[in-house]
Amino acid sequence: MLHPVPGSTGAAPPLLSLEDFTVAFAQGAGRTRVVHGIDLTLQRGEALGIVGESGCGKSVTWLAALRLLGKRAVTTGRVLLNGRDLSGFSERELADVRGGRIGLIFQDPTSCLNPILRIGTQIGEALRLHRGLTGKAAEREALRLLDRVGIADAPRRLRQHAHELSGGMNQRVMIAIALAGEPDVLVADEPTTALDATIQAQILDLIRDIRRDTGMGLVLISHDLGVIADLCDRVAVMYAGRVVETAATQDLLGSPRHPYTRGLLAALPSLEGPRVRLTPVGGTVPSPDAMPPGCAFAPRCAYAEAHCGNGIPVLQPAGTGHLSACRRLDALMGEWQRQAAREAGRHDPVVQDLDWPNRDRQRELSA
Amino acid sequence: MTPLLNVRDLACRYRVTGKRGETHWLHAVDGVNFTLDAGRTLGVVGESGCGKSTTAKLVLGLQPASRGRITFAGEPVSATRDSHWRAMRRRMQMVHQDPLAALDRRLTVGEQVIEPLIIHGLKGGPQTPRERALALFDAVGLRAAMFERYPHELSGGQRQRVVLARALVLDPELVVCDEPISALDVSVAAQVINLLQDLQGRFGMAYLFISHDLKVVRQIADEVAVMYLGRIVEQGAPDDLFHTPAHPYTEALVSAIPTVGQRDRKRIVLAGDPPNPVDRPAGCAFHPRCPRATAICRSEVPPLRPVAEGRLAACHLVPAVSARSAAA
Amino acid sequence: MTGFILRRLAQLIPVLLIASFAIWAMIFAVPGGPVGMMVGENATPEEIAAATRKLGLDRPIPVQYFNWLTHAVTGDFGQSLHSRDPVTKLIGERLPATLQLALVSILVALVIGIPVAITGAVKEGSWVDRLLNGWNALALGVPTFWLGILLILLFSVELRWLPSASRYVPLWEDPNQALRSLILPGLTLGLYVSGILARFLKASLVSEARADYVRTARAKGVSERQIVGHHIMQNALLPFITIVGLMVANFIGGAVVTEAVFTYPGLGRLLIQAISTRDYPLIQGCIVVILVIYMAISLIVDILYAVIDPRIEYR
Repeated sequence: MLHPVPGSTGAAPPLLSLEDFTVAFAQGAGRTRVVHGIDLTLQRGEALGIVGESGCGKSVTWLAALRLLGKRAVTTGRVLLNGRDLSGFSERELADVRGGRIGLIFQDPTSCLNPILRIGTQIGEALRLHRGLTGKAAEREALRLLDRVGIADAPRRLRQHAHELSGGMNQRVMIAIALAGEPDVLVADEPTTALDATIQAQILDLIRDIRRDTGMGLVLISHDLGVIADLCDRVAVMYAGRVVETAATQDLLGSPRHPYTRGLLAALPSLEGPRVRLTPVGGTVPSPDAMPPGCAFAPRCAYAEAHCGNGIPVLQPAGTGHLSACRRLDALMGEWQRQAAREAGRHDPVVQDLDWPNRDRQRELSA
Repeated sequence: MTPLLNVRDLACRYRVTGKRGETHWLHAVDGVNFTLDAGRTLGVVGESGCGKSTTAKLVLGLQPASRGRITFAGEPVSATRDSHWRAMRRRMQMVHQDPLAALDRRLTVGEQVIEPLIIHGLKGGPQTPRERALALFDAVGLRAAMFERYPHELSGGQRQRVVLARALVLDPELVVCDEPISALDVSVAAQVINLLQDLQGRFGMAYLFISHDLKVVRQIADEVAVMYLGRIVEQGAPDDLFHTPAHPYTEALVSAIPTVGQRDRKRIVLAGDPPNPVDRPAGCAFHPRCPRATAICRSEVPPLRPVAEGRLAACHLVPAVSARSAAA
Repeated sequence: MTGFILRRLAQLIPVLLIASFAIWAMIFAVPGGPVGMMVGENATPEEIAAATRKLGLDRPIPVQYFNWLTHAVTGDFGQSLHSRDPVTKLIGERLPATLQLALVSILVALVIGIPVAITGAVKEGSWVDRLLNGWNALALGVPTFWLGILLILLFSVELRWLPSASRYVPLWEDPNQALRSLILPGLTLGLYVSGILARFLKASLVSEARADYVRTARAKGVSERQIVGHHIMQNALLPFITIVGLMVANFIGGAVVTEAVFTYPGLGRLLIQAISTRDYPLIQGCIVVILVIYMAISLIVDILYAVIDPRIEYR
């Protein structure tokens, strides 16, 4: 599959794009900005992963873009769906988009379903709003949807309530509700975080299957790079309200070009390879009302130099379809490439690159 | 040498009332055996409802077992809250998932680290309680300036460090960690994992490390037990167990973990949910979801037995080795 | 469902037994006991002995209680000491009046309270919300006797639209006349309770509005109007039912002040009169009736709850 370079003018306009999108929360008299101008595009049928730690703005961005955060969230910039700006839409127009063109699923499926309404009623609501189906036709379609998301014994499940189903089944119901509007894109906000490992595998497989059948696009928001790597064509890494790196998944995992991404990968324990001591990223994420000047990651960055504190780094090309927002990008890329060349004998690029901090240390020792 | 912790045939069941008022038994833990040597780490993994957290509470004597025997440093552990229980609690501590819930928001974190010393009336040694607490602050990587802060003024990672300092202030021999890093972000989680390893190297306590995260358990444990529906289904050294799982459940669990490394790995996706512990399937509890189940799996409970050197598995399909060939 | 109701009824029996014993034993708290009350302070020993025998007080205590209970179950609480009428007859005259007033009052409270709560919740934090909060505070803060008097002054004395003293007219006999009598006391009680209901329902709506399933409804494209009416309201109504039940129960015996202001012939006033004249059989009868109504309402609330909330099993 081809991944157009973000920002390039391809033949087809992107399905969904954010342009200079910001989110701030009203707090007392003032506002605290939590998302600081994001540009992202999603091509038709593409799967985009958004990864980052809590508070980086990965969920807030998409919820605010669809005005799901209430009046306290103030946004600027544009949200384009098929070239039309959603921020100019009325509530009624936006309601047609939500659950229609864009389906959403969330983290805790059981609390996301209305506790006192039957599963069938909740699917039926989406069918009525977006497909105009009622009565027998709606019931037939709801049964088909439950079957599609792999729920056995669908006629009985339609009459049940969320508390009678397991978490995994409720997430399948949420997916069925999202599919009811035949969306062009599914925005999935930590869809498997609350689920057990074997259930998570089921849900990831289901989403993959549905995408294969329908060509539906996917925005997968997760803290888990493993989950993102499993489903996504392209990844955007967010830190402190900004995108710091974006690239095709294999490219980003194989040769990360931002110190934060490299830090995240080195901090992950793994099931494979030799057991080595983890290399954590020191310090903690800055709070939105106490952001450091310049690059927000600089205070935690092993490669930071004095000038990293001056001015916000912008995303710049770091390879084919690869962007990274680091002021020391050129210098570091040379360094990392030399390392990679030296280690070319190793076949697994991920493990190879994951070892980078250790190798730095070895080099220092041998020098 | 006797092990620090010896758990034999441990079971815990709850009475639950059914829809028509009839009584059922929920077997949360159903015949668990393991030992843990001083200074070592046993990881317990499994999905929610497998009984791993109940096992932790039973080991600490926080709730009574319905069957079985727990021996800690040669002495039996009971859930009767007498002086013996309190004396034993000093030597075994617990660290939870949510550090904010574990801390009292009205007290400074410093006071909370000193508190166990005062409760247990410990003044012995050359250090004052405050000096001892400050030394532990240093050990867990907290600056002394944090001593006067309140829990809500700290980050998640710092709070978990406070909880660790409080657990270690009494110099315990065993620390039971129940999902200690699940609530933490990736970069901070790595800090705490390293810290747990450093502290063990320095103070020499044993960890009973409960987690749903196989990668974290592999990182930290000397031995791993995989639980399913209240029983251990496989046990062994982490690398052996995760790289060449013997039990089909372990195999599926390992393959279910999405990793950044191997994208096109064949994944075993189990059908359905884990069964309700109230109506545990006959025979091997895993057989309804097992891709390889045969007739015997539906009728007979497989015992946990040696299947290779240092490895136990409870599966009819894995040939057992005799004790002699295992030793050879 | 039937089994659930029967089980709940069975659970009420011990409560009723304990309460009835306490109510019965109350008679012994009187100076001179029940006999002294009957024969007066200057009675001769013969009179006392006769009264004792007549009241059955020479028999063992369990037998006495059992006799009282068997009578009470059949609705016989004896005679009023004051008027010598059967207690059942006195209560029977007042009970329909009380129920009628309670009905009108709770309707007034709901009609005012629910829209106030919904508007306040939807416009939370706006000037409308603050205005409505002020209105609630006023409804709660104005003493009912004062509000009653104000209403009488305005509608009866000045405008001469409505009677100042309310009579009991059964609704089914002359609805127009009945409503004319009920409207002022109903407004007085209803307004006060609307403040309580509005505050409670608004808090419950606001907390439900933050629930995850509301975000799901929005993400499905459900309109704000339907989110409030269909999703939030139904969930917020669950705890609200309990409060409404409590308020209705409270009207049965606790509307004394309003009944007095409007000289309305309610059960509350009867009870107060009985207490002030130490009319013990009448006190016992009133309390038993109020207690039974209270329990009936809480049973109805439980049943409603179980019908509406699928998470509750009929157990």
